[in-house]
Amino acid sequence: MQVFSKLKQSNYQITIISIVLATILALWKPHVLIEGLQRGCLYAVIALPMALILGIVGIINLAHGDFMMLGAYFAYFLNVHLGTDPLVAIFPALLAFFLIGIASYRAIIKYVLSSPELNQLLLTFGLAMVIEQLANLLWTSRPIKLPLRYVSASATIGSFTFGTFEFVYVGAAIIVLAGLLLFLKHTSTGQAALAVGQNPRGAKLVGINVDRTYLFIFSLSIALVGSIGAIFMTRHSIFPLVGAPFTMKSFCLIAMAGIGNLMGILWCSLILGIAENFVLSFRGYAGWADILFFALIVLVIIIRSRQRQVK
Amino acid sequence: MKSSRYLVYIGVLIILLTLPFYTGVYLLNVMDIILIYLALALSWDMLLRSGQISFGMAGLFGVGGYAAALIHLNAGVSPLLSIALGGLAAGFLACLIGMAVLQLRGMYFAIVTLALAEIFRVVIRNLPDLTGGPEGTILPSAIFSGNSTKTYWLVLTVAAVSVIASEIFRRTRIHFALTSIRNDEIVAKSSGISVFKYLVFIFAVTSAIQGITGGAYAHIYGFVSPEGSFSLDFTLLPIAMTLLGGMHSTWGPVVGALLLGVVSEFLKLKIPYGHLLVYGIIIVITILFFPQGIVGTIGQRLKKNHVERLAS
Amino acid sequence: MTILKTENLTRHFGGLAALDHVNMEIRENEILGIIGPNGAGKTTFINVIAGIYLPTQGKIFFDDQDITELPAHKRCRLGIARTFQLVRPLPGLSLLENVMVGSLFGKGLRQREARKKAEELCEFLGLSNMTRDITRMTALEVKKMEIAHAMATQPKLLFLDEVMAGLNSDETMEMIALVRKIHSWGMTIGIVEHVMRVIRELTHRVVVLDWGQVIAAGAYEQVSNDSRVITAYLGEEA
Repeated sequence: MQVFSKLKQSNYQITIISIVLATILALWKPHVLIEGLQRGCLYAVIALPMALILGIVGIINLAHGDFMMLGAYFAYFLNVHLGTDPLVAIFPALLAFFLIGIASYRAIIKYVLSSPELNQLLLTFGLAMVIEQLANLLWTSRPIKLPLRYVSASATIGSFTFGTFEFVYVGAAIIVLAGLLLFLKHTSTGQAALAVGQNPRGAKLVGINVDRTYLFIFSLSIALVGSIGAIFMTRHSIFPLVGAPFTMKSFCLIAMAGIGNLMGILWCSLILGIAENFVLSFRGYAGWADILFFALIVLVIIIRSRQRQVK
Repeated sequence: MKSSRYLVYIGVLIILLTLPFYTGVYLLNVMDIILIYLALALSWDMLLRSGQISFGMAGLFGVGGYAAALIHLNAGVSPLLSIALGGLAAGFLACLIGMAVLQLRGMYFAIVTLALAEIFRVVIRNLPDLTGGPEGTILPSAIFSGNSTKTYWLVLTVAAVSVIASEIFRRTRIHFALTSIRNDEIVAKSSGISVFKYLVFIFAVTSAIQGITGGAYAHIYGFVSPEGSFSLDFTLLPIAMTLLGGMHSTWGPVVGALLLGVVSEFLKLKIPYGHLLVYGIIIVITILFFPQGIVGTIGQRLKKNHVERLAS
Repeated sequence: MTILKTENLTRHFGGLAALDHVNMEIRENEILGIIGPNGAGKTTFINVIAGIYLPTQGKIFFDDQDITELPAHKRCRLGIARTFQLVRPLPGLSLLENVMVGSLFGKGLRQREARKKAEELCEFLGLSNMTRDITRMTALEVKKMEIAHAMATQPKLLFLDEVMAGLNSDETMEMIALVRKIHSWGMTIGIVEHVMRVIRELTHRVVVLDWGQVIAAGAYEQVSNDSRVITAYLGEEA
């Protein structure tokens, strides 16, 4: 009602402001716009699966980024031993990590779903530590990278050159977002999942198998984030702690957009990506890009708590 | 009954105080580490009693270390005073962060604290003139010129401060406030407790303890660096220790620190890379199977036996 | 003398108005009954007065002071206390300690005084063996503990939210006597109840809520014969 018309207004305002800002950037620092877009989409593909778990299963997975790291190593070893191209490795990764998700859920996650949030946080934190340290143990902290020629593909418009390979992230973001939205709104499993997310007891009463839904959504999320690791490792060097910052940034993005606002997560990811690249573009201040997300989440929390004053 | 308990405490205290007179330097150094982790574990538990989790120990520990080191270097303040000031700095910073973030608790607060260590690292790396940048800063000398007895007494004092703070939190009205806030904020509010103010206060105090510990550590080892001072160890081990020993008590973290502190020394020799794995596993296992920890489970057993004895 | 006054007090949850322009007063040292069918907004009313929810619209005056924006803990310290319909004892604390939470923070007493006050209240309410675990109490004892806890904050205005629910006849009589005693000390009491006998015996005035609105106010005899009230409780006449 009143709230909706307000939203629509602000949506128009935001769209206009975004277009204006984007145009300014395109003319002034086109690198920032393009690379920010690409980076933002990378953030989005990682954040979306976390939003899925948070919104439907209701648990925050502090080990999220570490599953991505595992996916990256998975693709690496597949390449080293079988010569598989990492982009092709997405498909076996999807399967492998779906299974890993099932195993994790059955063995561990299931038991804390009814525990207080505290226990869930501690458990997934412990899990994150286990995964990171296991990786450290097995593969040491030495960063590794695959020399792939196609990642340096680039294009030139006028006088400015930009990397084109990174548009893979954009493609992935569109596919994942569209896929998830279609799945949640137009398939019976997806709709059941939404129902469970909103009201698990009610869903159970209507005959939806809540446990099976949790299992599926959790495993789907792990599968997605594991396979994203495969794409990720084409362009970045990987090491055991590479995933940790993404966990935090993903949470920041979800907090900004609101749990369940998948589209909003994409927009916020783009904002973060472009903002970080913007800071990076200033020589002396490049190092500060990494605290942008922190400033953002503190801001979001301050704003949200003001709103919540109406309890 | 009570007086014999006090005798035991005094006995233990005397043993601890006089330790340097009949043990070697190696054992004292091990005790140093154990006591540092003990202080961190207790400070984590104190905040936990309010129902909030902080993953930011490493961050505040490092802030205390850097503050103590830089104040000592740049303002010529004595090491001991700089350690206290380091604690103050950490507490003050926590106060600011807490005021901003503690209106939304739970996972929002927890994840903000998770980011703290990394954020502080970034800030320090980007202010090289002030902080010495990515290489860190070396202090001209370790505190007390490296005298292991005095160093041990310093750390023992820090640990004692944290034990005393923990006991104050258990015996004064703070205990009632913490228990109410943790269990039911609405009841707490309806009883006249200002939940937000208490949470900020507790976060600031426990962070100050972490800062003092970090300051002591910095002066003992004589250097601070973005990697070393904010090491994951300082977040991970206290959590594992408290969970293993038992939450919401003074004894729990103490027992956990003693057990795991010894184990840690042993492990570091055997498994140089990834020995932290053990602590992650301990966290997972204790949450899943005995969230009360050792002290908690024993305490419950004792209570059950007591009740059964009364009933029979 | 009016101790509490609400002006157009409104509280929305989503699209639903749980309280809809409620205008009412509570006079000093009276026992006011607040009744109405389930879902009428009685507990929401208490929650809004106590500060657990902020109103969407309207104002609240306590002792002529505008407390609409005041946070819950400050309202408690000013002298508003309430019990909870679904009792919420704090685990990890004994019966006495639960009550002490009220006496420690309601008026900021020191621990020794707070403990004494809590002990006095427990004795007054007939709660023995105060150091025991809260998991071993009867329903009546839990309700008494709730009242003790609320009274420990030394309020001027006390809301009792369905304290008689689930009590048998003897227990109800005991409770009624206790409430009368509390009132005789000068307390102003707002009592939400479904048990009409209690309302009839205890209250000076009654306010009837339905769908968040006040549909009747006055003495019990008057209100219980009001056709609107009867309709609200029993539905439309066939």
